[in-house]
Amino acid sequence: MLNTIMKTKVFAWVDRRTGAEALIKSQLTEYPAPKNLNYMWNFGSLALLVLVLQILTGIFLAMYYKPSAAFTYGHYTVAFDSVERIMRDVNFGWLIRYMHAVGASMFFVVVYMHIGRGLYYGSYKEPRELLWIIGVVILLIMQGAAFFGYLLPWGQMSFWGATVITNLFGALPVIGEYLQQLLRGGFSVGDPTLNRFFSLHYLFPLLLVAIVGGHIHALHVVHSNNPEGIDLSKDEEKIMFHPYYTIKDAFGVGVFLLFYCYFVFFQPHAWGFFLEVDNYIPANRLATPAHIAPVWYLTPWYTILRSFPDKLMGVVAMGGSLAILFALPFLDRSKVRSARYRPVFKQLVILFFIDVIILGYIGHSPVSPMLKLIGQFATAYYFAFFFLLLIVPKFEKTKPEPEGI
Amino acid sequence: MTDKANESRRNFLYLAAGGLGGVAAAATAIPFVGSMFPAADTLAASKTEFDVTTVAPGQQVVILWQGKPVFVVHRTPELLKEVLGHDDMLKDKDSKAIPEVSQPWMNDENRAYRSIKPEYLVSSAVCTHLGCIPGFKPTAGRKDWGDSVPADWPGGWHCPCHGSKYDISGRVINGSPAPFNLHALPYKYKDDSVIVIG
Repeated sequence: MLNTIMKTKVFAWVDRRTGAEALIKSQLTEYPAPKNLNYMWNFGSLALLVLVLQILTGIFLAMYYKPSAAFTYGHYTVAFDSVERIMRDVNFGWLIRYMHAVGASMFFVVVYMHIGRGLYYGSYKEPRELLWIIGVVILLIMQGAAFFGYLLPWGQMSFWGATVITNLFGALPVIGEYLQQLLRGGFSVGDPTLNRFFSLHYLFPLLLVAIVGGHIHALHVVHSNNPEGIDLSKDEEKIMFHPYYTIKDAFGVGVFLLFYCYFVFFQPHAWGFFLEVDNYIPANRLATPAHIAPVWYLTPWYTILRSFPDKLMGVVAMGGSLAILFALPFLDRSKVRSARYRPVFKQLVILFFIDVIILGYIGHSPVSPMLKLIGQFATAYYFAFFFLLLIVPKFEKTKPEPEGI
Repeated sequence: MTDKANESRRNFLYLAAGGLGGVAAAATAIPFVGSMFPAADTLAASKTEFDVTTVAPGQQVVILWQGKPVFVVHRTPELLKEVLGHDDMLKDKDSKAIPEVSQPWMNDENRAYRSIKPEYLVSSAVCTHLGCIPGFKPTAGRKDWGDSVPADWPGGWHCPCHGSKYDISGRVINGSPAPFNLHALPYKYKDDSVIVIG
């Protein structure tokens, strides 16, 4: 198909002026990929798909959404009403909003799988350190975009979530108060906050597109890692991206869409995990909901925050838990990449995955003394994992890696 | 397995897969494009009520129906006289060129007046050329308008944008860039004085 197009006169005209054919061949169709990639390597293309879906649905939602905290009849607000209007009156508005809300969670599902894959198979190691670091930047921007977006419906969870998170910045010494006012545009979360969050919620995905471009470029310079974690030098160890991985990615997209559409059409709230019930109550600055927690994809870091009895410590630990991801390529000095050949690392990294899930569960639950204690242990392991990586290579007996594949 | 044996099978699979993908993409486009059409509450607000007796004799009021401007003119006996006698100047004196310039309530008696009650004209205020609102110049001749109108001006509307002219029933006058008469509207009298448009 693509070959037929590339033989046309129109394409030849474009090609003489852009070098499109060489670019398409080197970056897509004839890009050499390891032949042994497993299904864990599908999540990158899925993340790209969800990014496109989020931008597409977001553009259409923005045609009807109104970022204003001005009151309407019955103590509702313009923003809240505009979201309800999308749900009730706009043609297919319910579908587009549920695609966007479920898409936000799905974005994190695939990106967390993608990150977990990178951790397990050592994809962050030399020469892919910068590729990993760009990826962490993407994660932070995603979390920012998700946080800004969650304020927009101007429900109870939106309002109090934004209040709590902007207060975090207030905990910082000296600059805290000013940073807080800068974010809020006032002394509390209010109409100016809503307006700027909408603006930023539109800006961040554009940043994502640019940085994802950088991520893919960085990948194509150093090339994909593979489940064995070894460098591939021979041509017969690689296959062309097209048709082999275009087909495999397309199959992954099919499976993913089944999963995605199940939630969009049958379980858009996902039992309160994707859309919280309390957010259908209009924002009320005079009363906080009885149980307040962030959406599931932010709960692991929320638990880390809650695990410290000191406000500043909690904020610093939460920031540090994300910042430490930047340092990961330099903490782990083992020459062996894949966990397949690192018995100690394999156990530590699997425990780390479980640890993050426990942190997430606790962050989603109401605080109890028992859960708080478990959360503190889980937080301790979260940080310990990264520092253990410093020492593990000194005593770990790695298994012999294969010569080739 | 030779390349030749595979070729036609492969092309069929390409077409089948690509075709199905195209159908799926088109189906996905439906909700997105559909969302851009008027929403249910916009459609629900598609009727406008107006008491025509609030318009003073000889005056024009511009109201909104579905977000579009509508002329309501209280035509005095003098203005009603201006409706007749210049049929040769009109592009479409019977309002039959396109469906939009006519309405089921039009009959042979009121066709020239283009209104249910001759003294109250209710008409679209959107110039059929490029959508401006024509200026109201009701009296005949140049007495009130100088040479902005022709010497044989029958009285009516003169569009500020590109100079289209309409008579006092909203019928387009020869020489205007506008192709059609002002659109007639689907309205009825709820009682003696209140009309419902839509």
